[in-house]
Amino acid sequence: MPVTTPKNQFSGPAVEVDKLSFSYSRLKVVDGLSLGVPKGISFGLLGPNGAGKTTLIRLLVGLLQPRSGTIRTLGQKPSPKIAHLIGYMPQLSSLYAELSVIQNVEFFARIYRLTDKTERKRRVEEAIKLVDLWEHRRKSAMNLSGGMKQRASLACAIVHNPPLLFLDEPTVGLDPELRVTFWEYFSALTRQGATLIISSHTMDDAAHCDRLAFMRDGKVIAEGTPDELRQATGRPQATLEDAFLHFVRREVKKNVE
Amino acid sequence: MSSSTLTIASRIVNQLIRDRRTIVLLVIVPLVIASLVGVSVPDKRILDYTAPAILAVLILFFGFLLTGISFLRERSQGTLERLMASPVSRLDIVGGYLLGFLLFAVLQTMVLFFYFIYVLNVSFYGDLWQILVFQVLIGIGAVCMGTFFSVLAKNEFQMVQFIPMIIVPQMFLCGLLWPVSQMPEYLQWLANCLPMTHGVEGIRALMLQGQNLLDIGKEVGVLAAYAVGLLILAALTLRRGASG
Repeated sequence: MPVTTPKNQFSGPAVEVDKLSFSYSRLKVVDGLSLGVPKGISFGLLGPNGAGKTTLIRLLVGLLQPRSGTIRTLGQKPSPKIAHLIGYMPQLSSLYAELSVIQNVEFFARIYRLTDKTERKRRVEEAIKLVDLWEHRRKSAMNLSGGMKQRASLACAIVHNPPLLFLDEPTVGLDPELRVTFWEYFSALTRQGATLIISSHTMDDAAHCDRLAFMRDGKVIAEGTPDELRQATGRPQATLEDAFLHFVRREVKKNVE
Repeated sequence: MSSSTLTIASRIVNQLIRDRRTIVLLVIVPLVIASLVGVSVPDKRILDYTAPAILAVLILFFGFLLTGISFLRERSQGTLERLMASPVSRLDIVGGYLLGFLLFAVLQTMVLFFYFIYVLNVSFYGDLWQILVFQVLIGIGAVCMGTFFSVLAKNEFQMVQFIPMIIVPQMFLCGLLWPVSQMPEYLQWLANCLPMTHGVEGIRALMLQGQNLLDIGKEVGVLAAYAVGLLILAALTLRRGASG
């Protein structure tokens, strides 16, 4: 599968977050969270609904402003200046319902400043083929199935080959075969130097990530490679699900004490 | 004008072209309304008086409704969130909407204008280009008003509820049905604060009295002030709802 090397001159960590907090009115959604994501890996944010994953991603892409703490994305504060280096796939499919798949992807290619017509055409075609929607490229987004919408949405996020990608639950609604294809593509991207930050609540996705952060109540309760997190339970046969529950229990115990 | 503004405008044009019902709503429905007025009016002088007002009222009505619903959908389906995370600025987004919808506003005005003049024989003494410029000015206010009010609506039903609150009172007070000067004084004061009143008075002066844009400086000024104010409000409130 063809993947173009993304442009990225910054040599430090892809994302650095220090004591980050955010609340909606009085509800604290992100609570003093610190995190470092090295470049060129897939980093999973794993946790149940309401853990603060989506809010954290929205803070990292600059859609929300933190109440306190600092964020460095590719060495800079999130701003429109670096937005062209970032790809973002929101949780909703986020497509223009009346437009066809190709029109949607083409629109985002233009928005992300792919000005050269030949290059833009090639990238649009590549992105649509990658998500296996080439045959459906002329279909309106409103006539696509849920899984197809998800795939079209991914095509819009990757069309400009960004060095840093934020994917909010990208594999929801995908069949197992396509899920594998997606992960093959994600791995190809990280091999080329791109950094992927992926939120999920499924352990299937977690196992594919190079590193994971388990999240609960707006905090990171554990961070490491999938193997490190499994080993931390003290049981050689432990799954990532076991590991997550282990860290949740430890956190609850800590809070009680 | 930035390339992002043009990209957003061309996307809006594409969306509207692919949605045939909206095209019918923008072009055919106004012609049906114009025909009904033309056929039902007992006196041609009344038609001459009413026709320019219909031009101004319809552009404000459709501009408000279509932009409001489009922006609401942009918020609810998550595309605005995606745009706000991209390199485009808020002004690019509002500017793109303005440009896209104003193309249709000009088209609607021209279709309706020629229908009034050549089919319904409405009297006309002005310049078409000045009417178009004035209609664009009304349209800018309408698009920005729709953008701003879409922030206050949670769904399309709530957006439609703004019509009897924002548009219908203006239709009764703007002089479309009877002259503002015949209303009670306090209502005249209220009517003179509303953009639709200035739109109707301005376009009547352009079409029926052969005046030019300089002659109707007051109307142009008030509508421009509304447009600028609403543009700022629309740009400032754009982020709301884009990020949950």
